[in-house]
Amino acid sequence: MGEHATKGLEHWLMTKTGKDIYFWNFLVLMFFTLFEVGAVFFEKIPGTEIKITKMAVWIILIVVGIVKGFGIAAFFMHLKDDPRIYTRTALFPVLFVILMLWGIGLSNPAGVTDLPSWCTPNWDYAETR
Amino acid sequence: MSGHGAQVENGIWMRAVMMGGIILTIGVLLFATLGVAMADVKHDTWEELEDEYHHKEVEYALDGNITAAEAKSLDHLHHEEVGAHLSYLSYRVSGITILLMSITYTTFIGVGGFLNASKPNGDDDHGDDHGDAYGGDHHGSASPIIFAFGILLFLAGFPDFAIACKAMLNSSVTADLGMLTLSLVGLLTIVIAVSNWWFEDLPFNGEGEQIATSYPFEGEHIRKAGLWVFIMSEIMVFATFFSSYLRMRTEWCTDWAIRDGVEACKDVPEGTVVTASDLLRYDFATLLPGAINTFALIISSYTIVLALKTARNKDWKAKTGLMGKIMPTRKAEIRNYLIATLLLGSLFIVLKLVEWSHLVAEGFDIGTVQGSIFYIATGAHGLHVFIGLLVMLYLVFKADTVGFDEDNAQGIEYFGLYWHFVDLAWVVIFPAFYLY
Repeated sequence: MGEHATKGLEHWLMTKTGKDIYFWNFLVLMFFTLFEVGAVFFEKIPGTEIKITKMAVWIILIVVGIVKGFGIAAFFMHLKDDPRIYTRTALFPVLFVILMLWGIGLSNPAGVTDLPSWCTPNWDYAETR
Repeated sequence: MSGHGAQVENGIWMRAVMMGGIILTIGVLLFATLGVAMADVKHDTWEELEDEYHHKEVEYALDGNITAAEAKSLDHLHHEEVGAHLSYLSYRVSGITILLMSITYTTFIGVGGFLNASKPNGDDDHGDDHGDAYGGDHHGSASPIIFAFGILLFLAGFPDFAIACKAMLNSSVTADLGMLTLSLVGLLTIVIAVSNWWFEDLPFNGEGEQIATSYPFEGEHIRKAGLWVFIMSEIMVFATFFSSYLRMRTEWCTDWAIRDGVEACKDVPEGTVVTASDLLRYDFATLLPGAINTFALIISSYTIVLALKTARNKDWKAKTGLMGKIMPTRKAEIRNYLIATLLLGSLFIVLKLVEWSHLVAEGFDIGTVQGSIFYIATGAHGLHVFIGLLVMLYLVFKADTVGFDEDNAQGIEYFGLYWHFVDLAWVVIFPAFYLY
């Protein structure tokens, strides 16, 4: 996060529109937020008979989340132009997060209700020994 | 805090006390308007509709058979009554939240300001003499350690603190005063530590920012590196919430999953599992607080960027038109962007609690698995926002007194990183808990 010399797309936007990358990033974030809210509200794509399925909502929410997350991290948090060590620091927990999502989140969907009795509240060790 | 290149008069801290007074006055006025006057009007409307509904119900029941038209009329009245109840809750909860927030703001900024104004002097005289050996103007601070100790005490007594809050509402509950005192001592320690931290930071003018001398952050500002390590740990915290939610959510046979023909849910009747998102995306009005909050956080992320950009802009020129009148100087512009961020963050907390009150009124409380993960995850996020707002208060104070410029804008930059992370966490929480 902070000031930096503009280059590439940022420079082009600045010279063509007079607005910096933060402004455009802000607009993109606002637009995509509207888009994801709209995806949930509409059962069909407006003007068509194409149904927005649960899977389509999943995909839209994940893609929009990635775009918004990138916009905030790369431009607002300035990871794009800061030394790479900060990006590596931010990404360090990714392995942990993947393990959490895969190992806990997705490995056994029935795990919560099928927990062994000794994992559940009010289990009396003395009674079952 | 490290570098102290300037001196600040202690009297300046009395402005913090004044700021606390202004905030408390605004809070009390808003509470009186929204939480009392408006809420009472809404309460009367709700009671009238409730009475009308019950009268009609009895009247139709006495007639014998309830016709389709009568049932429709009853249903309409019931919806109106529920709407009036939620409207009453919106005003009452927003009023109370604003009052409690303004009291907390005043406690931090007012008490902090008073404590600092009472100190013997405002320069970097801590009774030690090693300053010159480190370049004449910096050394470590004990404030974070005192702050952490305060949190330890507060959390040790927190269960009884929470019980005491319940006891205020319910006379049958009694609180352990010993542990409650411990919790309050913890809160006081936190306030003292924070005010001391501010005392050390206020004169900071950019000189003596500590630089890392070893791998992997060699040449980088130590505070910035530390903040990124902190953010890294926060990513892990939110990942635990999200993975546990994902774990449960993939198992739940929600109405959406049933209607979408998920094989495992084919024998499960609709309404078996109700998630927060089932209630929130029911219609536009129920989703509105969450949607407004999302926009509020994005806008607040942008305003903090604008504050930093203004602080770093050596060639700053006053804007023309209305913006020029609102922000005639660079100092005013930075302060006003920070105030805008503070207001947007406060709006987030108010709407969050209004939304929670609606959910609880509809029977979605923390007693269920779905409620538990929702309130814990969104509550943890809300707590992060609130802590950020307390820091923001100090930034507003500093912007209004000492001021920020291209040399000492690190405070805004590092706080901005935290604030953007809070926004980033919401980018995940909002679709997962509200939209899906």
